Amino acid sequence: MTLQTDLVGLLGPERVLSSDLDRFLYGKDAGVYRGEVTVVALPETTDEVQEIVRIAARHDVPVIPRGAGTGLAGGAVPLGGGVIVATTRMNQIFEIDAANRCAWVGPGVINLDLSRAAAPYGLHFAPDPSSQSACTIGGNVANNSGGPHCLAEGSTVNHVLGLEVVLADGEVLVTGGKAPDPVGLDLRGIIVGSEGTLGIVTKALVRLTPNPPDVRTLLITFDSVEDAAATVSGIIAAGLVPAALEMMDQRMTEAVENWLHAGLPTDAAAILLAEVTGDTPAVEAEADVIRQVARGHRAREIRVARDEAERTLLWKGRKSAFGAVAQAAPDYYLHDTVVPRTKLVETMREVYEIGERYGLTMMNVFHAGDGNLHPLMMFDASEPGALDRVHAAADELVELCVRNGGVLSGEHGIGKEKRDLMHLMFTPVDLDAQARLKEVFDPDGRFNPEKILPAGSRCFDFGRPVPEGAWI
Amino acid sequence: MGYVTAEAPTRTELSTCVQCGLCLPHCPTFRLTGMETASPRGRLMAMSAVLEGVAEVDDVFAEIIDFCLGCRACEAVCPGLTPYGRLLEGARAEIAVQHPTRARRLRRWLLGRALGNRTAVAAATAVAAVAQRTGVGRILPGPIRRSFAGLRRLEGRERWVGRRAEPVGEVRGTVALLAGCVMEPWFPQVHEATVGLLRRAGYRVVVPRRQTCCGALAAHDGHAADAHRMARRNVVAFAGADLVVADAAGCSAHLKEYGHWAGEAGAGLAERVRDVTELVAELIEGDLLPRLALPRGPVAVQDPCHLRHAQRIIEAPRTILRAAGYEPVEIDVDAMCCGAAGTYAILRPDTSLELGERKADQIRTSGSTIVASANPGCEMQLRSLLGPAYRVAHPVELYWEALVESTGRIRSEVGG
Repeated sequence: MTLQTDLVGLLGPERVLSSDLDRFLYGKDAGVYRGEVTVVALPETTDEVQEIVRIAARHDVPVIPRGAGTGLAGGAVPLGGGVIVATTRMNQIFEIDAANRCAWVGPGVINLDLSRAAAPYGLHFAPDPSSQSACTIGGNVANNSGGPHCLAEGSTVNHVLGLEVVLADGEVLVTGGKAPDPVGLDLRGIIVGSEGTLGIVTKALVRLTPNPPDVRTLLITFDSVEDAAATVSGIIAAGLVPAALEMMDQRMTEAVENWLHAGLPTDAAAILLAEVTGDTPAVEAEADVIRQVARGHRAREIRVARDEAERTLLWKGRKSAFGAVAQAAPDYYLHDTVVPRTKLVETMREVYEIGERYGLTMMNVFHAGDGNLHPLMMFDASEPGALDRVHAAADELVELCVRNGGVLSGEHGIGKEKRDLMHLMFTPVDLDAQARLKEVFDPDGRFNPEKILPAGSRCFDFGRPVPEGAWI
Repeated sequence: MGYVTAEAPTRTELSTCVQCGLCLPHCPTFRLTGMETASPRGRLMAMSAVLEGVAEVDDVFAEIIDFCLGCRACEAVCPGLTPYGRLLEGARAEIAVQHPTRARRLRRWLLGRALGNRTAVAAATAVAAVAQRTGVGRILPGPIRRSFAGLRRLEGRERWVGRRAEPVGEVRGTVALLAGCVMEPWFPQVHEATVGLLRRAGYRVVVPRRQTCCGALAAHDGHAADAHRMARRNVVAFAGADLVVADAAGCSAHLKEYGHWAGEAGAGLAERVRDVTELVAELIEGDLLPRLALPRGPVAVQDPCHLRHAQRIIEAPRTILRAAGYEPVEIDVDAMCCGAAGTYAILRPDTSLELGERKADQIRTSGSTIVASANPGCEMQLRSLLGPAYRVAHPVELYWEALVESTGRIRSEVGG
């Protein structure tokens, strides 16, 4: 029996894709990497996922989970062939427990669909990545996804109460639950953000957050990026943690405005999108603080969204920014790094400098409030050497951010993209501990191999010296 | 072998897709299957694969491309402004040339030739009218029977082609009306409403005899040569009119793309094209058509994809219904395709039915027994699924009826 016939035996021919073209279409996500797919399986139940994992083990092929394929770090790209386990059909919302403010959902449930389903109860799922209209909860869990509103609400890890996970031997692990303080080792925190390298999440118990009673969304226009960045630091320094604090530079604003027609100021060097939530008096007061700080940094114009329609439109602009860049060049590389927000002003300056040095147009749109940068480099992949230049610039960007006290990734995950930059942040001991954890869950290296951890993470890996002081 | 025709998807067009995936949840076939291969992003990647020589225009490619409804919901949400509808037609043109099945050749004759021929359509209509009256329609094969059940009762109404209707009062301009392939014989009440409203607002309405089918169905199915021919003919037929109006959303959407189908002259025509809902709503806003005071109750609004997604016309039908005294009821915030999608209802009945039932359920739970739809395909799909307890009508038709009822017919309604 071949791998494919085993899978067809399990799922039927309709839910197994194996033609050359089908496999090609699953060979990449929203990022720049392309991989090699052996076969695509579309399970609908936990049982089927268990069986797929066992079949893959029998044929000794890797298993790569994939949600909507909106990832940008190559997390769902198979690097050495393997079975793609697409969770898109596992899109059932099993239970919304409004009293306990949580929901059991399948990994294929779309982020925004969950919030829509929770809306009648006055609840929503707080993590709201830009791809929230398309990305899945499974993908959010895998990447510990963030989003504009994670500034105040925290990223996905703060919103996962329990998980059902299919392990490497095909057994099912259930960790966490509705109890507010579960006992035992907290495996949730280990699975969240593990990018499918430890197991396949088949159900998630997620926290639902009450919708705020009132909200103000401010669009603030600046004549310089520095002023906008300084305003961000100023707002936080004033003791405020807005629900969201986002920045877009001029090129980005132009691209977004060109398709959205939301009346964004395309002549501004930078715009800030600030949102405060809470009771009406509180949001009024906080909006006033933001206005004052912004004026203190030469804000040119401050516009407050008049109604929910305008607010939705502004957010739509922010969240479609990545797609809009296609207007500027055929390809883009979207980065994801973090700096302390006190270093925003100088880091932004250096970001543009790196762009100039490599001859790459740099566009910026990012979660300014938590210093999570998303520089976009525009290029044409068909131009020889362009991609190499982009990768070199990208590495330099990461080094810059880490040097300024930041971290490798804000929310997109490590995937393949930043795997080989892990040493910038982690000591050999750190990496070894992570590699040993991976081995416990996945001794055969079946799940999403060659992701997150660089080769040689395990301290006795061949060719890598034992770090000084490490205990073997 | 790559692409071989002038219609082929180009590198420039395809490069506007950066695979961000924001289109996925808006795609009905992706929603149904969860498959990348059934998503706009997947289809665009397949088109790129052929361009790059990684794939061929073969069975697999044709299946991926032909599974698409062509609803263009993806296009409306694409921040990269990818011209998906154009690319889809380009890919289908390649399939029609490189990998034509017998069924596609038959469709070429049907959509590219027969639909543009008034005599042929009239003959088919006569047969259908007899079938309606004798119940012979019951012996038709499933999907065709379902479409047949969605027809209005066919009756010999006055024809508009070749005629002109003079305006009431001051002349505001001349509108050329697209008679359409089946609008005229199958939906004459819609034309009557369109002409009546435009006359009342001060337009002279001409319905040139030399015009033909707009060519949308041929273009959607990849019969590019026919689509070009029909477009060129219509450009000549409609020359001179201030505006060109179509009262089927699929037609107005296609006329607006004549820049592709009939070159510079086509682009000139495209600028003057309005969907009837667009123009009538504008006339209401401008107080050239009245807002009626009498409340008439709720009407479920079904947004045809080629009105809402392809032309981004959302408010107009609602404005018209409100002016008629109706209360528009929203049934689907996503405005997902009803599954009719031109010939799709017959070619892929299962998918079409699944989407149709979804829409029908949304209407049933809306509490309204009147449904407004500005496109004939959607109308037929909904009528066949909802049955006789529901009325499905064009928004301008509902408005015109209300107007006539409230103010009485204007004398000499029918011009010479």
